[in-house]
Amino acid sequence: MFENIASNRRKTVFIIILFIVFIAALGYAVGIYIDYRFGISGAYSILFMIFALIIAVAVSFGSYYYSDRIVLGLTGARQVSRQEEPRVYYMVEGLSIAAGLPMPKVYIVEEAGMNAFATGRNPQNSAVALTRGLVNNLDDLELKGVIAHELSHIKNYDILLGAIVIVLVGMVTIISNIILRTFIFGGGRRSSSRSSGGGLFNIIFLAAGLVLILLSPIIAAIIRFAVSRQREYLADSNGALITRYPAGLSNALKKISAYSEVMTANNATEHMFIASPFGKNTKVAFSGLFNTHPPVAERIKRLEQMSLRIGIKSDSEIISDMKLK
Amino acid sequence: MLAAILIPVILVVVAIVILIIAAIAVYNGIITLRNRIDNAWSQIDVQLRKRYDLIPNLVETVKGYAAHERETLEKVIQARGMGIDAKTVQEQSKAENMITSTLKTLFAVSEQYPNLKADQHFTQLMQELNGIESNIAFARQFYNDSVLQYNTKIQTFPGNIFAGRFNFTPRQYFEIEEPAARGPVKVQF
Repeated sequence: MFENIASNRRKTVFIIILFIVFIAALGYAVGIYIDYRFGISGAYSILFMIFALIIAVAVSFGSYYYSDRIVLGLTGARQVSRQEEPRVYYMVEGLSIAAGLPMPKVYIVEEAGMNAFATGRNPQNSAVALTRGLVNNLDDLELKGVIAHELSHIKNYDILLGAIVIVLVGMVTIISNIILRTFIFGGGRRSSSRSSGGGLFNIIFLAAGLVLILLSPIIAAIIRFAVSRQREYLADSNGALITRYPAGLSNALKKISAYSEVMTANNATEHMFIASPFGKNTKVAFSGLFNTHPPVAERIKRLEQMSLRIGIKSDSEIISDMKLK
Repeated sequence: MLAAILIPVILVVVAIVILIIAAIAVYNGIITLRNRIDNAWSQIDVQLRKRYDLIPNLVETVKGYAAHERETLEKVIQARGMGIDAKTVQEQSKAENMITSTLKTLFAVSEQYPNLKADQHFTQLMQELNGIESNIAFARQFYNDSVLQYNTKIQTFPGNIFAGRFNFTPRQYFEIEEPAARGPVKVQF
């Protein structure tokens, strides 16, 4: 477990450095472009690089402190109190005591799909979010299994890495898109009519645009590197250790796999959910390539082995459970 | 000639340094585990205090509807007093088990009083007590896990070397001793 925390810290630092380098390089490129286009020699490229560097560092710090709020905001989660949701609140409180963690904040996402995630920068500043569908459809043992799984992510510091990845990678994607649109589709056309040498630059920026397009699989690769599927298995087994009841999570996963869609989820936030928020019909092309979750069937199998088949619900029991509610 | 003396000396020094570092690591590991037990204990304590605070409230509410259940109520109060006065882990766990079982009896008795069951304050208290009850169970789990880790560490090599030197003694588990779970349940009519 301690190797996991160390590895998550290393990866977080690596991703932040990668982000800073990327933004600085981008600033440098924009500076060169401006130098060339307006015929000012040399000064802007360095100036822009330093400017971009400062912004990148500031954004990195900001994302360290605020990424959890951004993530919670992105998914439309709402914080709830003990009075509003006593059942969920007491479960989170009890399980966090059992895991030896400080009590995380509890959030509810008002969606019918069944899913859950945890976020934050460390156990002292963490949050667990559950969808309304999850809270309504799972029984106590199952819900405890899911909450314990999320608490394991908090304990392993998966949450910090996940939140940083969402904010920084998301930002790179947005910047790439802006640049693509301004320079290739917008600025490009204007420059060809007004300034000399625009033709050459169009070609160069077309090439740059292509690079940025190629970048998106690289970004996907970074996400996959950061959030290895192994960590889901690890959180499953650690979670089962907290509840001492692997069948709870395994039954929960069976129900969740039937309907886990979350409307507010996107490619950037997908990896932090307990099960893919796109359900079976994924939004992404080459879904195999972008998979951030191990197959649910495999996770259920491992948990059932752990449980020695005590408390495992049969498929028909799961179905009748779901019909009741 | 010089090298022939120097190399063994260096090897010995390196070995000693490695041993010292390893010893520090083991010692710190034991202290970390011991502190975790204290932290775990304080978690239990927080939950127990919450329960102590609720019990007088509960007793007052029940009195209002079921005054002649004096015996049951007195047992609850007595068990609470024992819990507050407890000094050792063993005493504490004994008292808490008593509180839990007397509360169970109280809730069972309350079934006979529809007015009490309908009281909003009473249902809320019961819900809170149930929540605290499960929190105590979880806190006990974490405490016992921590004790297990610590005891294993100081009883196995190389931790046992330090245990004697620095007086690390095994800690007590917080045990559940529910008489109801052990023997047959006595039913009185």
